[in-house]
Amino acid sequence: MRPKGASRRMHGEMKRSVYRHPLAVRITHWVVFLSIVVLAMSGMQIFNAHPALYASDASVFRRPVLAINAALDPRTGQPVGYVQIGEHRIVTTHVLGYASDGLGGEAPRAFPGWATIPGYQDLADGRRWHFLFAWIFGLCAIVYAGWAFQLLPKASDLKAIPATLKQHLVPWRVPAHASYNPLQKITYFGLVFVVAPLVILTGLALSPAVDAHAHWLPALFGGRQFARIWHFAAMLAFIAFFIAHVAMVALTGFWNNLRSMITGWFDVEGRT
Amino acid sequence: MKSILVPRARFLMLLAAGALTGCSSIADALTDNAAFRRLLIAPERLDLAILGSGEPLAREYSESEISPDFRQNGFDPPSSPEYQTWARDDWRGYRLQIGGLVRVPRSFSLLELRSRFLSLSQITRHDCVEGWSVIGKWTGPRVADVIAACGPLPQAKYVVFHCMDVDQNGTPYYESLDIRQAAHPQALLAYGLNDRPVPVKNGAPLRLKVPTQLGYKSAKYVSRIELVASLGGKNGNGGYWEDQGYEWYAGI
Repeated sequence: MRPKGASRRMHGEMKRSVYRHPLAVRITHWVVFLSIVVLAMSGMQIFNAHPALYASDASVFRRPVLAINAALDPRTGQPVGYVQIGEHRIVTTHVLGYASDGLGGEAPRAFPGWATIPGYQDLADGRRWHFLFAWIFGLCAIVYAGWAFQLLPKASDLKAIPATLKQHLVPWRVPAHASYNPLQKITYFGLVFVVAPLVILTGLALSPAVDAHAHWLPALFGGRQFARIWHFAAMLAFIAFFIAHVAMVALTGFWNNLRSMITGWFDVEGRT
Repeated sequence: MKSILVPRARFLMLLAAGALTGCSSIADALTDNAAFRRLLIAPERLDLAILGSGEPLAREYSESEISPDFRQNGFDPPSSPEYQTWARDDWRGYRLQIGGLVRVPRSFSLLELRSRFLSLSQITRHDCVEGWSVIGKWTGPRVADVIAACGPLPQAKYVVFHCMDVDQNGTPYYESLDIRQAAHPQALLAYGLNDRPVPVKNGAPLRLKVPTQLGYKSAKYVSRIELVASLGGKNGNGGYWEDQGYEWYAGI
């Protein structure tokens, strides 16, 4: 990325500011952020209606790849929440499977009320939220993609990965250069050009009407239920990115990073 | 720099937990807001305009792909004495009524539906709004053929399917399609599932099957078809689940 804008002297120190993010990127960044939060939370609401994933086109109810459910503990008679991955069950009572119902109590629910939109069980409104923000996300993703294309990692970026990884062993020492470092480029580029298209296409693959228009789309992902796994995995990828992203923003100069996504200006240390 | 990292991380974690709960609460308040609701339901029209265009066919499967059990969902089967009697008597007393904006209101027994109309079979995937899918083979006449036999009037724009099953409060199930959707070549009035009569749990004796939309459009236990000029008003939002806030266009 080649930042535009003039350098300026800050507080008389040898610091330089660069105009890092154009207005369209700053706006879509925050709209995309909001969309991802709403899509993840309303998506969990939708998932709760049938909290199981199958690696096939139709559901094989006896063999979910992943299920988040509740059962009664035969010894205590108390409800237990669990996450089932293949044959293995992990007890997750009060967090997943049997958790907050969004109305002050607890109930059999895959994802808890505080993580879903709406908070209470409401598939109809969860879908409305999801599809409204899917449009917003999709439109912003196009704007974003137009800009992020320049993040395509070059050979020199790939060569610099080991050195950059080494820098990240001490995350708060990662230098603030004018342009993104190779790991940033690869991560952002992968997010915009791999994970975002994956989440959009796998979401579309779940629609019976889209299926009628394009049989190849669900087939591409192993069938409708399999596409649901990809859609879920893409959501997890967004959450993983979100955690790492916020952590790095916080560790490498919180206000400087935040400012660069609000006003566009980013303070650079030393030479670029 | 390092010394302030720990409180900063804790602050951010607290902020995140609070933000999530906050998001949920704000979203709940917005969901109930009348102005925001209009925005929430706005994309449905766009989706219908894009996905409802043309006449693409749902994918059809082979016999070997049929799901071992066609999962039941929705209300319990009708409990009325009339329905029970029909079920015991091989549906001999049952008649499908067709009325509303038609030249000739008519009714058909199951035998008449079998003998008077071209019977079609389709092996299609049934996608429930909850997220699961099952594959089944449905047999019966086209909705279009049955309606055509009654001479629909030009002002008829929607086809309403009235059903015999009711919720806990006694509210009956119903669904609707517009005339174009009802004319879709895969829109069937199915009396057969997997080469047998439709079982009671799956909507006996007659079920609507619309494979290009979600399962709730495929109304079970259909007893009466009514052609109307518009939805809304006494015709509700065009379906039982539509009246609970679900999309009338269930293509997604």
